[in-house]
Amino acid sequence: MSSEVLSITGLTKSYGSKEVLKGIDLKVDRGEIIGYIGPNGAGKSTTVKLMLGLEEGYSGKIEIFGEDIAKQGESYKRRIGYIPETSEMYDSLTAQEYLTFVAELYGMDYDDADRKAKQLFDVFGLAEVYQSRISSFSKGMRQKTLIVSSFLHNPDLLFLDEPLTGLDANSVMVFKEILAMFAGEGKTIFYSSHIMDVVEKISNRIVLLHGGHIVANGSFEELKSQSQEGSLENIFNQMTGFHEHQDRASEFVSIVKEG
Amino acid sequence: MDNFFVLRLLDVFKPLFLKMGVDYMTMRRILQVKLTMDQRRKPTVFNQSRKKKDKPEKNEFFKSLWMYGFFGLMLIPFLFLRDNYLFQVSILFSIFMFIIMTTLISDFSSVLLDLRDKSVLATKPVNSKTVSMAKLLHVTIYMLYITLATTLIPLLVSLFFKGILFTLLFLVSFALADIFIIAFTALLYLFILKYFDGEKLKDIINYVQIALTVGMMIGYQVVARSFELVNLDYTIDFAWWQLLLPPMWFGGLFDVLLGGGRSIGSMILTILAVLGPVISIIVYLKMIPDFERNLQKLSSQTGKKKASNKWKVFRSLHMLVSKDELPFFRFARIMMKNERDFKLKVYPSLGFAVVVPFVFMFNSYSIMSFEEFAASRSYLSMYSIMLVIPTSVIMLAHSGSHKGSWIYQVAPVKQLGLINKAALKAFLFQLFLPLFLLVSVMFSFLFGLRILDDLAAVLFAALIYTAVCFLAGGKELAFSQPFDAVQQSGDIKVFLLFLVIPVFVGLHFLALKLPFGVAGYAILMFAVNWGLWKMLK
Repeated sequence: MSSEVLSITGLTKSYGSKEVLKGIDLKVDRGEIIGYIGPNGAGKSTTVKLMLGLEEGYSGKIEIFGEDIAKQGESYKRRIGYIPETSEMYDSLTAQEYLTFVAELYGMDYDDADRKAKQLFDVFGLAEVYQSRISSFSKGMRQKTLIVSSFLHNPDLLFLDEPLTGLDANSVMVFKEILAMFAGEGKTIFYSSHIMDVVEKISNRIVLLHGGHIVANGSFEELKSQSQEGSLENIFNQMTGFHEHQDRASEFVSIVKEG
Repeated sequence: MDNFFVLRLLDVFKPLFLKMGVDYMTMRRILQVKLTMDQRRKPTVFNQSRKKKDKPEKNEFFKSLWMYGFFGLMLIPFLFLRDNYLFQVSILFSIFMFIIMTTLISDFSSVLLDLRDKSVLATKPVNSKTVSMAKLLHVTIYMLYITLATTLIPLLVSLFFKGILFTLLFLVSFALADIFIIAFTALLYLFILKYFDGEKLKDIINYVQIALTVGMMIGYQVVARSFELVNLDYTIDFAWWQLLLPPMWFGGLFDVLLGGGRSIGSMILTILAVLGPVISIIVYLKMIPDFERNLQKLSSQTGKKKASNKWKVFRSLHMLVSKDELPFFRFARIMMKNERDFKLKVYPSLGFAVVVPFVFMFNSYSIMSFEEFAASRSYLSMYSIMLVIPTSVIMLAHSGSHKGSWIYQVAPVKQLGLINKAALKAFLFQLFLPLFLLVSVMFSFLFGLRILDDLAAVLFAALIYTAVCFLAGGKELAFSQPFDAVQQSGDIKVFLLFLVIPVFVGLHFLALKLPFGVAGYAILMFAVNWGLWKMLK
């Protein structure tokens, strides 16, 4: 079995006359944690949506698990887990109802899903609310529900879009550990976020998207040696050509202060 | 989660679905989840913390079904009209299809055009055929309930008086008509989705809804009249355009199967009654992947909106919109303009409101000469324009982004009631007034300027009615409630509010008997408005 899980070649995508992705090439191997970063509107979500088949009408080639997704049905999604940025769920359902439903969509048996989901909820300290409606949950509880729903069917490839939103510091530590362990077992994680410290720490490769192109692709050490900047945040600023944060900040403050 | 009775009923058709390439168990599961969610009213932002004990869940929807039973009573007289199947069945089906189709486009379009499912369902290994089928069945299930509620009493009556054969054929025809309506509407949306883009698409869907409502109103008149005008014997000569009127297909069906009609026209109509629904549903099923793909367009925002200055005038009209109300007024106006679900539910009734006055009027016109007519009081049908108010006012409390309403509580607003007052005014200026002016101008041409005082009275009455509708509603803050998948714009409250309209007409009619009565009535109405709107908080 080839170790290549994901391969994108010459991917472009336009909305009307606006070209969002201008030729993306990317290969990802088993067990990698890819930190997928870029400024707002760089096309990160679009890439993920295309890979999940949420959007169509691109040119180029996307291969997942060695097969072109345009040529196969939806069965490849069976081995994928996804945490959407928008944290959309059917929140009038209880956590139990929602999680078992999603697991069944992935082809799991109801009883297995129910048992596993309950145990996972227990691990997160949420055993008590397992049968409460999601709409009554706090932000952190919702996020944990999403995390459970994306891992429940034991996927091989995970697309995580800001998965830490709303989690407290302890849960963040647990979750980072979880990711590291899964990566060690050969699961591939595609992690997009704007929180640079976290991306810097957990990813073994960082891919920076800017203006529809990949402008950097390598480990944190490699990026650091390329740009001579200290932190990923600084590297990010430099690569996206942004130097005026000081000016922008003082402009903001002065506008707020004036009458 | 309940194992719904309908779902068990659906299991009978399992092989059929499997044959179509639908993953039956998954579809059933999706439907089960959807139906469960429909039963639960989503709590709003402000009562989120309230612990919800699972009370016996009752779908709001079922509470409103009795109203359709009431509508169904209208069908009964036509059962006994004359022993002419072609005529009575055609009329009966035009009413029936009218009820079903208006319900479908105003209450269930949002289900057909739903995008919220995308991130939950489309990311899972479920094929789009299964998802669309679940969606279609979700709508169909509700349409069947409505059909049953509407036709139950007529069916029982026909069982007593017309025999079992008639009743069975009746039942089958209703089912065929339902299938046709759903597939036709879905196909129409598909067609629009295919050729238009983003923002424009949303507008066009709204226009189509208005056009459909208006078209059906007129179509109904045409069916009814095609009998009277041609021949008083209620026999009808076959004409090609009758093939375009689906209710007549069923008239033909009954004529051939029960009435012994053997004319070519009836034969063709009969064939269409069967082929129309079957072909439309097959075409729709074939086009499903297309539908889902194009649906995505609804979410894409293309083009920037130009800021408009035309409402700046309200900044200086403090009499109409006070300074405190102005921000909310502006906000409500924009929300109404952009909120797709609001438009889906309200716009069809706008079309309705324009046409109804004329329908009422022409019904009386047909028995008078033009001179008599122009001198008559038929313009009182103008009051029926008020039909648009209850639904709109109730819908104003809802929004797709209802969760954003926390801002009302957080911002230092002196009187939260101002939000509603401003929203009502925004509705009046944005939607009601243009409509009212349009109909007024047309009526002034027909009846002359002598009716100006009457028109003023109608306007003031409508303002009072708006306030009344609001006071009768839940008084929730504007845009603070979620739209449920099955929200009844025609719930009991709306229906009861309709009954208030004749009261205004009655008062106006009395005023007409007195010298300067109408002017007095208008002034009185104006004064009541003054007080009422001052009170409104």
